[in-house]
Amino acid sequence: MRQPQQRYSGWSLAKAAWDGGSYWHRLWGATPLQDAYDVVVVGAGGHGLATAYHLARDHGIRRIAVLEKRLLGYGNVGRNTTIVRSNYLLPENHNFYEDSLRRWETLSHDLNFNVMYSPRGMVEMVDSDDGMNTLARQGNAMRLAGIDSELLDRKALARFVPEMDLERPRRFPIVGGLLQPRGGTVRHDAVAWGYARAAAALGVDIIEDCEVTDVRTAAGLATGVETSRGYVQAERIVFAVAGHTGAIGTMLGVPLPIETNLLQAMVTESVKPILNTVLVWLYDDAETYISQTDKGGLVIGGKLDGFASYNREAQWHRLAEVVEGAVAMLPQIAGLRLLRQWAGTCDMTMDGSPIMDRLGYDNVFVNGGWCYTGFKAIPASGAAFAQFVATGTAPDLIRHFGLKRFADGTLLDEAGTGPFPVEH
Amino acid sequence: MKRVPARFQWSIEMQLQCPFCGWRQVAEFRCRGVVAEFDPDTVSGVYLRVNRTDSSIEYWQHLNGCRSWLRIWRNPSSGEVLEIQALDSLVQAVNPE
Repeated sequence: MRQPQQRYSGWSLAKAAWDGGSYWHRLWGATPLQDAYDVVVVGAGGHGLATAYHLARDHGIRRIAVLEKRLLGYGNVGRNTTIVRSNYLLPENHNFYEDSLRRWETLSHDLNFNVMYSPRGMVEMVDSDDGMNTLARQGNAMRLAGIDSELLDRKALARFVPEMDLERPRRFPIVGGLLQPRGGTVRHDAVAWGYARAAAALGVDIIEDCEVTDVRTAAGLATGVETSRGYVQAERIVFAVAGHTGAIGTMLGVPLPIETNLLQAMVTESVKPILNTVLVWLYDDAETYISQTDKGGLVIGGKLDGFASYNREAQWHRLAEVVEGAVAMLPQIAGLRLLRQWAGTCDMTMDGSPIMDRLGYDNVFVNGGWCYTGFKAIPASGAAFAQFVATGTAPDLIRHFGLKRFADGTLLDEAGTGPFPVEH
Repeated sequence: MKRVPARFQWSIEMQLQCPFCGWRQVAEFRCRGVVAEFDPDTVSGVYLRVNRTDSSIEYWQHLNGCRSWLRIWRNPSSGEVLEIQALDSLVQAVNPE
């Protein structure tokens, strides 16, 4: 049953404190699955929920269902390292992610849910002068687009990150970095919950434990989805299934330029604040990024495991490598214990940029191929993709993310690595 | 298809049986990509993958070992390795048939 939407405020907090907490409603109600919908969104993660929210809010579509195989927010929206940024070289990418970053800034107000956006700055650090040249080029490209970025030499970096002893001899010395002051972190679970709550308040049915097994078609159009809870008729179908996007392509008979790889992350025990920014260190052929959550744990991540996998069982040697990188960066954390380690399935595209397009049929849409950077794209992706689904025309912001770029050669290969699903 | 015995299943690190060196940690190997399912001279051959969640055929190299090239049949959902074959030559890796 739907409950009236509560508005969160200081007043509601005081009221709840007065009556002992029984005042709070569920964030989203357990609504029954209907037989037919205008739009069925497959996948209750960040992108699926954001798309459903914007379809309901901006485009007035009333009958929307979000179907989730397991639990809401159980996939990559709850498995990432919560970093948001827009420091990209290519204009198609940095304009899109900048739109997303601007939306992060106001998202807590839009959703009336505190997603804890924390613009603590995000520094990309390199170990060579070549790397500095690359960063300078990237930073200049961003500044031309009006995005904040600052090239930090060794001295400036030491001032900005006093926690890091740059004089300490390292095998791969830290030469400098590129700072994006507005980059930072967002509480990832709150994003899933906030979007789910806001979407449910607009009448979106969120159905958990409902796996989509097939798409039914007639006369060149999709007519609905077969699910573990029976057939659901749908006028439009949106797939936002992250790591299983490639498998959806196979299900529909449309092979996609995607390979699913694992990326692991880990968090240490909570400690007092020791790190007031997000550090990304690119050294040799490896990469380590680290930030401190508001709870105090240090969240650490690195590179992909290196081969196709769907089972979320990450490899030990990669974990060891990531920890080595983190300890080389901040030797004072070497004594901390790791509390948790987990992995997410990343749908790696062949050029490292996302895919937002129709898939096989005119009324089937796919929002995927986010590699390991989908989290920070959620607000912009939701808004732009909802417009695409509602109007049938991709807005300028995401037009270049279509599948035809692979056929006509207009790839968005940010890392310049060629057609391999290894790098974003 | 011959099953590789479930040895070292307790280990947190995946292990692969190199036909020349025996059981080795996966850190010694590097995945060199999936076996192409489309004509390699076309756009599809370069970019597209048939993503099956239950089976995958890949080229690997025992990079930090004997450096031999291998063809591996795996189940990417369970992580089970079904078969490992040595490639006779690199020519085979580029054009398996």
